[in-house]
Amino acid sequence: MDLKNLTIKNFHEGLVKKEFSAKEITEEFFDLIDRKDGEINAYLRLTKDLALSQAQAVDAALANGGKINLLAGVPLAIKDNILIKDEVCTAASKILANYRASYDATVIKKLKNAAAVLLGKTNLDEFAMGSSTENSAFKITHNPSDLERVPGGSSGGSAAAVAAGMAVAALGSDTGGSIRQPANFCGVVGLKPTYGAVSRYGLIAMASSLDQIGPLAKTVEDAEILFETIKGKDELDSTSVESKIRNSNFEIRNCTIGLPEEYFVSGLDKKIQTKIEGVIKNLEKLGCKFQKISLPHTRYAVACYYIIMPAEASTNLARYDGIRYSRNSKFKIQNSKLKDIYFNQRSEGFGEEVKRRIILGNFVLSSGYYDAYYLKAQKVRRLIKEDFDRAFQEVDVILTPVTPTLPFKIGEKINDPLAMYLSDIFTIPVNLAGLPALAMSPGFQLIGQSFQESNILEIGKTYEQSYNLSA
Amino acid sequence: MTALIDKKILEYLADLGRIKLNENEEEKLLKDLQNILAYFQELQKLDTTKVEPLTGGTIEKNVFREDKIRKYENPQKLIESFPEKENNFLKIPPVFG
Repeated sequence: MDLKNLTIKNFHEGLVKKEFSAKEITEEFFDLIDRKDGEINAYLRLTKDLALSQAQAVDAALANGGKINLLAGVPLAIKDNILIKDEVCTAASKILANYRASYDATVIKKLKNAAAVLLGKTNLDEFAMGSSTENSAFKITHNPSDLERVPGGSSGGSAAAVAAGMAVAALGSDTGGSIRQPANFCGVVGLKPTYGAVSRYGLIAMASSLDQIGPLAKTVEDAEILFETIKGKDELDSTSVESKIRNSNFEIRNCTIGLPEEYFVSGLDKKIQTKIEGVIKNLEKLGCKFQKISLPHTRYAVACYYIIMPAEASTNLARYDGIRYSRNSKFKIQNSKLKDIYFNQRSEGFGEEVKRRIILGNFVLSSGYYDAYYLKAQKVRRLIKEDFDRAFQEVDVILTPVTPTLPFKIGEKINDPLAMYLSDIFTIPVNLAGLPALAMSPGFQLIGQSFQESNILEIGKTYEQSYNLSA
Repeated sequence: MTALIDKKILEYLADLGRIKLNENEEEKLLKDLQNILAYFQELQKLDTTKVEPLTGGTIEKNVFREDKIRKYENPQKLIESFPEKENNFLKIPPVFG
């Protein structure tokens, strides 16, 4: 079986035609992971018992002549900041090393209802804070196509697992580009849904006004199947909403795509520029019209983001106090003071980047700095959102590169946090504005209007069928 | 321009976050934060006096739900996950003193 090119669609066909059983394929995936993941390090933990029981249930349903779901038996990887009941979930942090989830995240509940098979939990930057997966407390994930390079981050483990064929598809989370940037670095498809489109119940929170869960997959079609499965209003996440129904009037040949001048500047790698020019020509052949637009506040997005995100993260991370969730067993309650437990657990449990963001968050929220930083950033955030609102009066969709540079080497940026932050310059504005965006080969991102994932997915699918799949 | 953050402020902020930094961490963080905060100065160039802050995700609307009791399906599971417990209670050190 060629696991590397296995998609949800052809897996389903093979399963229904009884070319293989779900259990056989699941076992093949675990064999491949055993052989290959030693050098890639995409997974933090495998959930073998769960996966095999899920696969056997699918085989039993098929044997009984039942009709099965498109996702039934499909082996998936899950970023380790999304809770699976009874499984360890660490967010790649020592502070949660012993934490076992007592419930399923809503997205996991939905995947289980669709009878998907969950292979394991993938590596990430600690608490999803990073752009290279080097910030994991446990291991460094390598880019499958060049082991000396980073897979991107923070969903680097999910992207690497899909790219190396060690999962058919995966879930990740995207706060400032954490699905799209690693998808791009590993050459797979990544979708960051509209803020509110997918429930975050059971996602370990980083920055609550920005976080979204979304799929990483080999094809746009697969990303769409996963998105359709996990989306929707959830009582348990008050920010979630029911997505609008599909815009049936949308046609790719009548589509106007905006090219923001601020994204095509001198810092953009020439190779990426050339690829994007090729993409534009290809889309023109499909009937898309292009129009230059301006998103004038783009240059302020990184500073705005690195104020709002740490402010929210420092607040969200206050709950890891060593009293709840998990504690290093060497810190005992007996003869301790409450404050000692807090300090010991947090000083030893959090890694460098997490500490940096907690302190940065405390700074921008402190009295005397609040107006100059946090409030200012919230105002700039509105200006960035209004840039997009204006642009969408003229165009249907916006096309940009995903990153200004190609995948960098492991170790290259880890000692320069500001350089690392700036590598997310093209993905961050989308989160600040709450919009959906699709990252796909070769290196482009389609940004849609709120809750109109269907439009960018439609363009993505047509592009893929016309160019990427035939290549 | 004076430094936006010094050792004293850094220690205060770390203390607020219940984090104790060793000397190496302090030195590195101070340098990183000075760079990052200097970069933030870019925002001061923008006039935002007439702009309303955007305080959340995209839908700026309060969400209401019925105030009803929902039974958690397996409370024992939560109790089992306490790092330390006595009977069914979460064990914590004395809060005062």
